[in-house]
Amino acid sequence: MTDATQVAAAASSRDPAVGLAAVASLRGLLESLEELQVGNARAQGWSWQQIAQALRVSRQAAHKKYRRFGI
Amino acid sequence: MFERFTKRARTVVVHAQEIARERRSATIGSEHLLLGLFAVPDGLAATILLRLRVERADVEADLGRGAPFDAEGLARLGIDLDEVRRQTEETFGPGALDRTRAAQGRWRGGHIPLERDAKKALELALREAVRLGHGFIGTEHLLLGLLHDGRARDVLVARGVGLDGTRALVEELVRKRQAG
Repeated sequence: MTDATQVAAAASSRDPAVGLAAVASLRGLLESLEELQVGNARAQGWSWQQIAQALRVSRQAAHKKYRRFGI
Repeated sequence: MFERFTKRARTVVVHAQEIARERRSATIGSEHLLLGLFAVPDGLAATILLRLRVERADVEADLGRGAPFDAEGLARLGIDLDEVRRQTEETFGPGALDRTRAAQGRWRGGHIPLERDAKKALELALREAVRLGHGFIGTEHLLLGLLHDGRARDVLVARGVGLDGTRALVEELVRKRQAG
């Protein structure tokens, strides 16, 4: 089986355990990437408003999520 | 049952939760309780493990690292974790992705439930305490509770630590403590 068909098979997997676990993994990676980018943006002097706009979330949501880590 | 736990035994459970979180586990398993015993070095269980030459690093090695990312799950979605890691490290430096707070599991606050084998171990700890005629559940009883079944037991038995020998050691140390 080629990689492409393997991916297609997983993406359309009817087994909830497989599909949900893959989504959870993706969320974990997303959180890390977001943290890196937000940290970088703050280091470069971006405001929470700018960051929130780029992330397409509310300013409060972005600020609330990251301020406790002192980013 | 928790009201009969000593302060140290409670601390073990608190540490087990933190360890489960760090290892990105959705539940607290018996292996996390075992690692929690090492986190309370003045507990009797830690003393016993030391005497039996079982070290935290050994147990961690046996259990595996508890990867911060699920490479296999991501691959199923067509995402090459190694490639993502390579690209982020190129921009943000070595280990950048793995060093994020999210990767280290500090995002998730709150309660992590006990897995069945951990729950069972706590019940068995109570039983061990009763059997020894102790009116409390200490770290030593937690260790005995872990030696019946589950992943913690497998690790300990593979390192030559069994229930009977450990029970005898607990009795001996408790006697000494009472005498001294």
